[in-house]
Amino acid sequence: MSLADASLDIRDGELLAVVGENGAGKTSLMNVLYGLYQPDGGQLSLGGKPARFKSPRDAIARGIGMVHQHFMLVPTLTVAENVVLGREPTRRGLFDLERAVSEVAATCARFGFQLEPRARVDTLSVGSQQKVEIVKALHRGAQVLVLDEPTAVLTPQESDELAHVMRGLVAQGRTVVLISHKLREVLGVADRIAVMRRGRVVAEVRPAETTVEKLAALMVGEGHPALGMAASGRAREPSSGMGLETNTPPPGDMLAARPASRPSVDPTANTAGELLLEARGLQALADSGRPALRGVDLTVRAGEIVGIAGVDGNGQRELAEVLTGLRPLTSGEGTLLGGPLAGLTPARARERGVGHVPEDRLLRAVVKALTVEENVALGRHTRPPFARGTWIDFPGRRERTRDLLAAYDVRPPDPTAFLRSLSGGNQQKVVVARELDARPKLLVVVQPTRGLDIGAVAQVHAKLREAREQGAGVLLVSLDLEEVLKLSDRVYVFFEGRVTGHFTRPQYDERELGRRMLGAGTDHA
Amino acid sequence: MLEVLHALLFSTLDAAPALVFAALGAVLSERAGVVSVGVEGMMRVGAFCAAVAALVMPTPLAILMGMLAGAALAAIHGFLTIRWRSDQVVSGIALNLVALAGGTFLLESLYGPNGTPPIQQLSRWDVPGLSSVPVLGALSGHSAATYLALALPFAFQFLLARTPLGLRLRAVGDKPHAVATLGLSVAGLRWGAVLGGGLLAGLGGAVLSTAVLDRFEQHTPAGLGFMALAAMVFGRWTPVGAFLAALFFAFGNALRIGLVSSAPGLLELIPQGMLLALPYVLTLTLLTLQGQRSSAPAALGTPYEQESR
Amino acid sequence: MPERLSGILPSVLSVLLALAVCWGLIALTLAPDTAANAYLQMLWGGIGNWPSYLEGAAATVLTRPLGESGMKAALLTLTGLSVAVAFKVGLFNIGAQGQMILGALAAALVGAHLSLPAVLHVPAALLAAALAGAAWAGLAALLKLYRGVHEVISTIMLNWVAVSLVDNWLVIGPLRGVAEGGQSITGTAEIQATAALPRLLGDVSRLNLGFLLALFLAVAVWVWLQRTRSGFETRAVGLGAEAARTAGIPVARRTGLAMALAGALAGLAGAVLVLGTERRYPGTLGAPYGFDGIAIALIGNNHPLGAAVAALFFGVLRAGGTRMQLLGVHQTFPELIQGLALLFVAGRMVWLALLRRRTAATPAPANAAPPTEAPRA
Repeated sequence: MSLADASLDIRDGELLAVVGENGAGKTSLMNVLYGLYQPDGGQLSLGGKPARFKSPRDAIARGIGMVHQHFMLVPTLTVAENVVLGREPTRRGLFDLERAVSEVAATCARFGFQLEPRARVDTLSVGSQQKVEIVKALHRGAQVLVLDEPTAVLTPQESDELAHVMRGLVAQGRTVVLISHKLREVLGVADRIAVMRRGRVVAEVRPAETTVEKLAALMVGEGHPALGMAASGRAREPSSGMGLETNTPPPGDMLAARPASRPSVDPTANTAGELLLEARGLQALADSGRPALRGVDLTVRAGEIVGIAGVDGNGQRELAEVLTGLRPLTSGEGTLLGGPLAGLTPARARERGVGHVPEDRLLRAVVKALTVEENVALGRHTRPPFARGTWIDFPGRRERTRDLLAAYDVRPPDPTAFLRSLSGGNQQKVVVARELDARPKLLVVVQPTRGLDIGAVAQVHAKLREAREQGAGVLLVSLDLEEVLKLSDRVYVFFEGRVTGHFTRPQYDERELGRRMLGAGTDHA
Repeated sequence: MLEVLHALLFSTLDAAPALVFAALGAVLSERAGVVSVGVEGMMRVGAFCAAVAALVMPTPLAILMGMLAGAALAAIHGFLTIRWRSDQVVSGIALNLVALAGGTFLLESLYGPNGTPPIQQLSRWDVPGLSSVPVLGALSGHSAATYLALALPFAFQFLLARTPLGLRLRAVGDKPHAVATLGLSVAGLRWGAVLGGGLLAGLGGAVLSTAVLDRFEQHTPAGLGFMALAAMVFGRWTPVGAFLAALFFAFGNALRIGLVSSAPGLLELIPQGMLLALPYVLTLTLLTLQGQRSSAPAALGTPYEQESR
Repeated sequence: MPERLSGILPSVLSVLLALAVCWGLIALTLAPDTAANAYLQMLWGGIGNWPSYLEGAAATVLTRPLGESGMKAALLTLTGLSVAVAFKVGLFNIGAQGQMILGALAAALVGAHLSLPAVLHVPAALLAAALAGAAWAGLAALLKLYRGVHEVISTIMLNWVAVSLVDNWLVIGPLRGVAEGGQSITGTAEIQATAALPRLLGDVSRLNLGFLLALFLAVAVWVWLQRTRSGFETRAVGLGAEAARTAGIPVARRTGLAMALAGALAGLAGAVLVLGTERRYPGTLGAPYGFDGIAIALIGNNHPLGAAVAALFFGVLRAGGTRMQLLGVHQTFPELIQGLALLFVAGRMVWLALLRRRTAATPAPANAAPPTEAPRA
C-alpha cells in the first residue's frame, strides 16, 4: 500500500513540486497519473473531465509526459530512435530515419536542447541522457511534464541547467511537476509545493510562505511520536509476524532527529587516537573506465568520525570500495590497519578489522532469500560463534542473532524469518548490527540512512556515535550534507576525485563547504 | 571437381532450410528478450503434425499445420514466461521433454516404431536456364522451402533494421521498461515474437518431414533445434548472421555425408565425430573470443515486471 | 502456508496432475481400459509384482523390477543432484548429459584397462569419472567467469561436442572394443570384473552399489549445503553474488567449485551406468539422463533430498514403463509424465493463483506467488 486516499490538484502553467520522504508515495502517485499503475479507488480528472488511463498510451494521448528517475532509454538505439519510438515516422510503411532525425532536431531546437540525434544513447553523459528523456516527452506533445527526482544523478551545474529548462517550459505555458526530496532546491524553483506523507497529500504551500524547516516538519508529520537514540531497556511489542511492518517508531525526542535542527556538538567527541588509515595519492577507475579517484590523501584515526561530503559521483563511492577491497587501486599507496592498501580484497579487509555498511543494501549488504540469522553470519560465518571449524554452529548463531535483534530493536525479532520479509529500516538495522558486532577497528559507512524512516535514522546515527565512543574509526560517506555535518568530527570534501577541502569541527562553514563541493579551491574550478 | 562442388552445394541447399527457419525463429524470439531453448521441441511437433497432416491433405497445407503446431507450443511458452513470468529456460526445457516423449508416444500409438507412412514430398522447382550452368546450377531443382529460406533472412533483417516494428522489437529486447513507458505493450511485442518464432520453428520441423525426408521419424529433429541455437549465437543474434551460420553448418554436414559415401578414406584422417562437433566447437570458440555480452540482447531471459527497473 | 510446505506441495500436485493428464492421453488415443491397465503394469513393473509373488511366484518377480527401478533412480538422483548443485550457486547446468558421457567413458576406460584389486579398482574408476565430468563442467564455469558466456549456451554446446566426439568417433573408432572372437562390438571393451559395482539382490536383479552411492551422495550434498561453511558460502553466492563478494566470500572459486561438483556428480552417473549395468561404454547412453536431471532437480524443488525422492518416484515409473510396451504404450511414456510434471512445476504460478482465487475472496497479485527457484537465465 503506497497510496492511501491521496488528492492532488495540478494547475495549468505552474511548476508544482511534490516532496516527501522515501516511500511517501510520490512516485506511485505519478505512476497512476501516467497510467503505469491502476488505482484501486479514486478518480482522476483532466481539464475538468474524468479521465481513466489504462496505460501510458492514454496518458501520452492526453498530453502527459514523464521523465523517470531511472532513465527509460534503449542504450543501443540512437537519440532520434529513442525519441520517436512508438510513434515512428514512416514512408511507405518503412521507418523513415531521416525524417525522425530532422523531427527530433526540430524539437531540440524549439526547446533549446543541444543534442546530436544520430548519437547512440549509451555514448552520452547522464545529463544529456536526461535531456533525451525530456525531449522524448515534449516530442509527444506533453503539456504536463512530470520529472521524478531528476537531480539525483546530476552535477550541480547540470542541476542549475535543468532548473533553467523547467522554468523555460513553464514560461512557454507548459506545466511541470517536479518530484523531489531536496527541499532547498524545490524552494528555489517551484511555484507551489505539495507535501506527501504516508500515501497522502498532507499540505500544499507556496515557497514564499515556508522554509526548509517547516517543509521538513510537514514531511515527517507534526505531533509525530518522536524518537530515541538507543534502544536499550525498552519493552518491545510482540512479534507481528513475518512480512508485517510495524511503522510505529519507538518513543523518544523527535527533535533530535529532525534533519533541520542540529544537536549541539558533543564536546568529548574529538579524542582521536591511533592512526588507522593513512592514504597518499589514491587513484582508481570507475566502472565506466574513467578515473574516479585522482590522487586522494586522507587519514582516519581511532575514535573519530570522518565524513566525506560531495555531490554524487565525485569519487566517494569508489573511495569506500577501495577501502573495503572491492575496487583495485591503479596508483597511490597507503596503510590500512597495519597492512598495505594495495592488493586488498574484501576478505583481507575484514580480517584486518574493516567493517562495511555498503550503499546498496539489497545488492551488497544482505541476501534477501537467506534468513536473518544467515545474514547476520554473512562475512563472519567462518568464525565463532557462527562456526566451529568446518561446521556451522547453529545454536551459537541463533543465540548471537537473538541478542543482536533485541539490542537493535529489529522487528520482528525472529532469527529464522527471511530477510526479505523485513522492512527496509529493519534490514538496515540488521546490517549495522552485524557490522558493529564484529567490533571493527575501522567502519566504512556509505549512505547509511537512505530510504529509512526517521526512527531508524536516529537509531543508526546513535549506533555510529556509539562505535566512535568505543574507539572505532568511522569513515562516513553520505550525499546528505546535513548528515555528514551532524555526525563528523572532520570532513573531507570531494570534487571530481580529489579532496578540495578539509574541515575540522567546529569550524564548519556551510557556505565554504558548498563552494568546495562545487570545485572551488582547485585549479580548474 | 566442379561436379563435386555442385553436388555439395546442392545437398547443402536441400538440407539447410529446416535449420535456417529454426534459427530465424530463435532469433525472433530472443531479439524480443525471450530465451528460446524450446526450439527443438517446436521443431518436433511441427515435423510430427506436418507429417500426419500430409497423409490427408496437400503437402503445402500440411506444412501450415506444422507451423501452427510449433506456434501452439510457443503459445504455452509465452503463457508461462510472458503472462506468468516463469523461468524461460525451465519452460523451454520442459517443452522439449514433453515434445520428445509425447512425439514418441503418439507415433507408437498411432503408427508404430518405423515412423509415419511416407508422404508426398514438397515438389521441386527447376529454375529455367540455370540447371545447365556449372556450380550455380546447384541453385536449381529445390523445393519452395529452399528458396524461401534464401529470401526470408534478408526480409527479416530488413524488418528489424528498417521498419517501426523492427525498431520496437529491438527496443523490447534491450530495455522493455523504455518501451512500456512509451505506451507500447511489452507483452504484446513479446507475444508476437514468441508466436512468430514458434511458427518459424514449426516451419523448420515441417520442412524436415516434407522436403528433406518424406515422413516423421522417431528421433526427428535429432538435435537440429540445438544446432539452430548455435547458429543464432554464431550469427550474433542477427537474421542474416544466423542464416549464414546455418548455411555454413549445413555445408559442413553435406561435406561429411559426401565424404562418407564418396571418400571414406578421408574419414580415417578426419573422423566424422570431429566434423559433427565442428559447429558447436566453433560457436564456443567464438564466444570465448568475443564474450557473449557484446551481442546478446540486454534484457534476454529477464521477465518484464512493471515494478522493477 | 509455511515456507517449507509451500516448496513441496506444488511439486506433488504437479506430479499428480501429470499422471492424470497422461492417463487421459492413453484413454483418448487407445482405450479407457488400457489406461488403467497400463498404469497397473507400470506400478508392478516398478515396485515388483506383489500379487503374483503372494500367489507363490519366485522372488525374482520382485527383485528384478526393483533392481531396474533402483538402477534408474540412481542415475536420475545423480544427474538431478548435479543440476541442483549448480542451481544453488546460481548456474543452470543443462550440460549434465555431456558431463555424464565423459564420466561414463572415463569409467569404462579405467575399468577396462587398469588392473587393480576390486577395493581400488571401483574407487579409481569412480574417481576418474568424477574428474572427467568435473573437467567438462569446469569448462563452462571458466567461460562464464572469465568470458561472460552464459552457461545455458555453453553447456548445450558442450553436450553436443561430447556426443559427437565420444559417440560418433571415439567409441566407434579408436576406443572401440574387440570381442573374444576378434569381432568388433558396439562400444568400448568390457570392464574387468574387479571394476564392476557389486550387485545387491543377486544376479537377476540389476540393483547395485550405485544405488546406495547415489542416496549417500544426496544426503552428503544436503549436509554440505546446509551445515558447512563452504556450503553456506555456495548458497550465499547463488542467492546474492555481490553481497557474497562484499562479505569476503571468494565468489569465483565457489562458483567454479560448485560447477565442478555438479559435473562430478553427473560424471558419477555415467560411472554408475557403466560399472553397474552396462559393463562397457555402450554405443550411446540410451536415454537423455542429463536432461532428465533438470526435471528431477526442479520437481524436487532444488533440494538434494527432494531430488532423491523425485528420482525414486520416476525411477519406479520408468522401470515400469517397459511393461507398458505390452499394451502398445511406448516404454518412454513415463518420460512424458516427467516432462509434463516439469511443465506444471514451471507453470505453478498459474495454478497456484487459480487455486488461491477459488479459495480466497480477494485474488492475490501474480507477483505474490512463491518466487521461482531457478536462477535468472
